[in-house]
Amino acid sequence: MTPVLEFLQAIPYDQILIQTVNGIVTGMILALIASGLTLIFGIMDVVNFAHGELFMFGAYMGVVVLAATGSFWLALLLATLIVALIGAALQITTLRPLIGRDPLTTILATFGISLVMQNYALWQFGPVARKIQEPFTGQFTLFYLEYPWYRVLIAGLSAAIIGAFWLFLKYGTYGIWIRATTQDRVMAEAMGIPVSWVYTTVFAIGAGMAAASGVLFGPLVGVNHAMGLDWVLKAFIVVVVGGMGNLGGSIAASIFISLLEAYASIWVSPAQAVIVSFVVLILTLLFRPTGLFVPTPK
Amino acid sequence: MSLDPTPMEPLVAVEDVHTYYGKSHILHGVSLHVDRGEVVGLLGRNGVGKSTTLKTIMGLVHPNRGKVLFAGKLVTGLPAHKLARLGIGYVPEDRRIFRLLTVMENLRTGLDRHGITEARKQELLDKAFTYFPVLAERRNQAGGTLSGGEQQMLAIARAMMLEPKIILLDEPTEGLMPRMVSQIREIIEVLHREGVAILLVEQNVPLTLEASQRIYIMEKGAVRHHCAASELKVDDAVVHQYLGV
Ligand SMILES: Nc1ncnc2c1ncn2[C@@H]1O[C@H](COP(=O)(O)OP(=O)(O)O)[C@@H](O)[C@H]1O
Ligand SMILES: [Mg+2]
Repeated sequence: MTPVLEFLQAIPYDQILIQTVNGIVTGMILALIASGLTLIFGIMDVVNFAHGELFMFGAYMGVVVLAATGSFWLALLLATLIVALIGAALQITTLRPLIGRDPLTTILATFGISLVMQNYALWQFGPVARKIQEPFTGQFTLFYLEYPWYRVLIAGLSAAIIGAFWLFLKYGTYGIWIRATTQDRVMAEAMGIPVSWVYTTVFAIGAGMAAASGVLFGPLVGVNHAMGLDWVLKAFIVVVVGGMGNLGGSIAASIFISLLEAYASIWVSPAQAVIVSFVVLILTLLFRPTGLFVPTPK
Repeated sequence: MSLDPTPMEPLVAVEDVHTYYGKSHILHGVSLHVDRGEVVGLLGRNGVGKSTTLKTIMGLVHPNRGKVLFAGKLVTGLPAHKLARLGIGYVPEDRRIFRLLTVMENLRTGLDRHGITEARKQELLDKAFTYFPVLAERRNQAGGTLSGGEQQMLAIARAMMLEPKIILLDEPTEGLMPRMVSQIREIIEVLHREGVAILLVEQNVPLTLEASQRIYIMEKGAVRHHCAASELKVDDAVVHQYLGV
């Protein structure tokens, strides 16, 4: 047998396909979290350190509503709306007074919010992880694996939410206001756009998207007060790799990094595979600090 | 002062306004007014505070002292978006087109607002596209890809979408080719005929004297001269003194 053939036969095609599906599923969830983060940064220059806690709060709201109503879909919807409202309230009380100040103040403020939210969740719900029951448990066969349909659904729903949001940005009046404000805050204001409300809305939308991903991902990981930490760290990596404030770039980077990690976990343990995202981050910062997925600025 | 606009009171009145950027004192007591439907020229050398005066009226910078009145109502300290809704259109000196928005989206920033009917929106668009046919051709093109003259037209058309009672025009002909300059001159005429007041900041003295009814001349952050446009000639001693060639 030739070495080439041996090599080709040694490739675990089945595992690669499974990990491709896994990578896309995780990537879409990550994209949903990162979209809000990058949007909030892009429009108001706020690095939102409380984003992971909004994700976690969304998951807990999902637990609460699911327990009360028994409907996963209602839980998804209400958790999204409630956390969007919480986000709006946080923005109005904490970030709005800081507009025009040193960006460092917003970092401290959002970091403070994240600590408060985490400890509130710990106090309210205790340290034991809660479970969100997935809405259905069907599986399909993927080689030697029984693969849950629910995972595929998460990817599809995340894509749908991101797609709907993109259409809203592209065609909606409020979407045009958001984009105009991102490009030139002062001129937007002079055109009659209430910029401080645009900020509030964007923060609320970002919070709602984080909450939706919290509920969707809840059934896979369990819900606890610290669940936001891992995800927000990864979301930050994705936002930097995708180009700060670049929505399309964040989505591409989410899928790219999740796929790389999924493939790496074929050969190393998933905990070690996380290193991949840091490697990509460091390489990006070294060679393309404006992000992998934007044309190099001239 | 009454809150109801009466024909006697000016549309915009600036009274003894002092504006600072941080610690630097830029406007030292500027006073001027624009009546309804009037075109008023604001002349002065570079750096005397003409743009700052417009920004102060627009609420983009807030004066430490003095008042801005719109239709008799005190508007000092109001945010710019409220002033835009009251009926002040702003065309800044560097045009400030939303570069990544299409021409149509740029117009929609002023067009999509509460209390305007679809029919009225269409009328306003049709009007803008009649005056500036090139904008109709380029409606789906990003604002940043337009030429300087086209961007200027878009900036004016965008302000017109607000159905303003007054437009603050900051050096609209700066850097434009002569053909474009006469087009800007025409649009000022059209707006004037429609009853829109204009406060026109310009370096082009002949154009300003021709287009305006009254003239203010600024120096070092204050108005130094005020007269009817017809009293001033391009080669007047006053013009030489304050605008000097
Ligand atoms: N954003 C700013 N910060 C500090 N100083 C400014 C700013 N904008 C303008 N200035 C200063 O204010 C003065 C008046 O500027 P401006 O109103 O733009 O003058 P003009 O429009 O008459 O040329 C100038 O000396 C200018 O340097
Ligand atoms: Mg100027």
